[in-house]
Amino acid sequence: MLVSDFLQFALNGVVTGCFYALTALGLSLVFGLMNIVNFAHGAFFVLGGMLASLATERLGLPLWAAIPAVLMVMWGVGAVIEAGLLARMRDAHILPVTLVTIGLSVFLVNTMLMLFGTEPKNVRTGLEGPPVFLGDVIISQSRILAIGISVLAIIATWLLISRTRAGRAMRAVFQQPEAAALAGIPIARVHRFTFALGTTLAGLAGILLGAVFVVDPSRAEPAAVKAFVVIILGGIGSLPGAVLGGILLGLAESLWGGFVSTGYMDAVGFVLVIAILLFRPSGLLGAPASRVG
Amino acid sequence: MLDFRRLLAGLALLGVTASAALAQPQPQPQPLRIGVIEPQTGPVAFDGTSVIRGARLAAEEINRAGGVLGRPLELVTADGACRPADSVAAAERLITAEKVSVLMGAFCSGATQAVMPIAERNRMPLVTAVSSLPALTQAGNRWFFRNAETDAMIAAAFARGLVEQTKTKTVAFLAVNDDWGRGTVASFRSVFDKLNVTTSLSEFFDHSASDFYTPLTRIRSARPDLVIVVAETQAAGTLVRQARELRLPSKIFGVGAWTTPTFLNLVGPAANGLLAGVPYAATAPGERNATFVREFRAAHNEDPGKYSAAGYTTMNIIAQAIQRAGSTDSAAIQGALEQTDYAGPTGNLRFDAKHQIYGLQLHVVEIENGKPEVRGTATLEQND
Repeated sequence: MLVSDFLQFALNGVVTGCFYALTALGLSLVFGLMNIVNFAHGAFFVLGGMLASLATERLGLPLWAAIPAVLMVMWGVGAVIEAGLLARMRDAHILPVTLVTIGLSVFLVNTMLMLFGTEPKNVRTGLEGPPVFLGDVIISQSRILAIGISVLAIIATWLLISRTRAGRAMRAVFQQPEAAALAGIPIARVHRFTFALGTTLAGLAGILLGAVFVVDPSRAEPAAVKAFVVIILGGIGSLPGAVLGGILLGLAESLWGGFVSTGYMDAVGFVLVIAILLFRPSGLLGAPASRVG
Repeated sequence: MLDFRRLLAGLALLGVTASAALAQPQPQPQPLRIGVIEPQTGPVAFDGTSVIRGARLAAEEINRAGGVLGRPLELVTADGACRPADSVAAAERLITAEKVSVLMGAFCSGATQAVMPIAERNRMPLVTAVSSLPALTQAGNRWFFRNAETDAMIAAAFARGLVEQTKTKTVAFLAVNDDWGRGTVASFRSVFDKLNVTTSLSEFFDHSASDFYTPLTRIRSARPDLVIVVAETQAAGTLVRQARELRLPSKIFGVGAWTTPTFLNLVGPAANGLLAGVPYAATAPGERNATFVREFRAAHNEDPGKYSAAGYTTMNIIAQAIQRAGSTDSAAIQGALEQTDYAGPTGNLRFDAKHQIYGLQLHVVEIENGKPEVRGTATLEQND
């Protein structure tokens, strides 16, 4: 096996890992801060890709205009769902809320099937040019774009949570809701903001998926499952953990597929999860009591 | 005065009722219900929906021409999601609650295999338009019929010609990790082994996979002359684009729905030069096919693909069998299905003793300027 093959596998793994990380980031945020196991996350992911396909293919918008437009819609979708559905269940047990998100996922996926059909769709990037060669290693322009945007989004999310007032408020609400409320933090707004942010991050991952691969409603379920694998790997509620877990899973799948067997690539993630849970029950970066930041 | 008005009102009411009674139409003939189990959600949802489109078009044509036994056909569709459990539940519901006369389905071989015993137990004819696992017709279930080519038949029809045409010495396989993918690879390999063609790699990927860089990189290192790819529309579109991005030098031969407009749209110019073995091509010659393509285009504004053609011919076979049976008695329909002789857009179709279709036209196409051009045609003969 050549060195260039190894590098190609590793690079492929990083690209997939960026998708995993970005998808898991939103899921981890919503779970860590709001204690909601959001099974509709995969549906948000697909919705982002579908809307971006609509904007670029049907409306002819360039990608740089389509991305902010779609993200704004996704933010709105997240805020409306939080206000209309989840806010009413804020004090409910985790199980009924989980059931609601499963129902929401079924509803969203079938609505998309009705509106957009089953056909897989592209997001037009305008980057159909030749791929870039790094020695013998090949990477397409749309993949470079996807990595770039993912890294930017991850850094922006981290800055938002660790460096801004809004982020401080989010962390405060998570650590001590009563104390945060007493300190005058508007709990309802923080929840709405957090859920909208999680939805938007899922949507962004979906846009990039459509730009590099294709997107269709059947992607929702596998995307959600992979995102759960990643946050368990990285440590539930830990944002650096979600990023690390995502990249790790991408690399593990790609190298396993490259050097052992492509037939069992999807099993690798679950084997990793079992191994991690045996030795570090709270995930790679998860503290015994989960945290955010 | 008041009484007179009341009288008038009463008369008017009487008149309305009487005319309504007169206007009551002749009793409509009961529609003949056909149960159609296809995946409408999940990874092959698009292809499953295409089957339904074809079946619906056939039913509409038949109904315009007066229906079957003087009764209109009614399709009762159910989502089997390509999963055995869902397909079995759908079959039970269609048979007991919806009272269908014939079942069509259930796309994925595994799902069809699970529905077959239900059909047998309920003495219900079951015709599949898609499922290609050879074992299905080997099971000796007399209620089951297959209007689809099997993996082995495709391999036998294409493998030798492919080797001769492309002067291939080494091949690699890249296939979806299910019965169909593994079955097709095994069938091709057995022919290639006889022809002393070396198989350098066999790679499998999951139904929901979207990144094929890893198996494609492995294949690129192995440098085979020919890569045989077994994939459905959703995966095939992504896979071919990625093969082009990675500059895979080998010739690609695709098995699956590789000539559908959706596939060609997804892949764009990267599709040019692809070879595909297909049981159906909209560009295939023949008057019967031209009519079908025209009708389909009028309804859906695009050319029909493999699965729409399969749905269309299957519904026609079912309708003709019921007509021949002269009743909706399931044993009579089963017997009439065995007598099938249907000249349609995919050839002159009959069932052999094991209820496997033959007479199907297979085409080798090459994509040229975004259009599948037929390069060769073979007719599937009766096995053994």
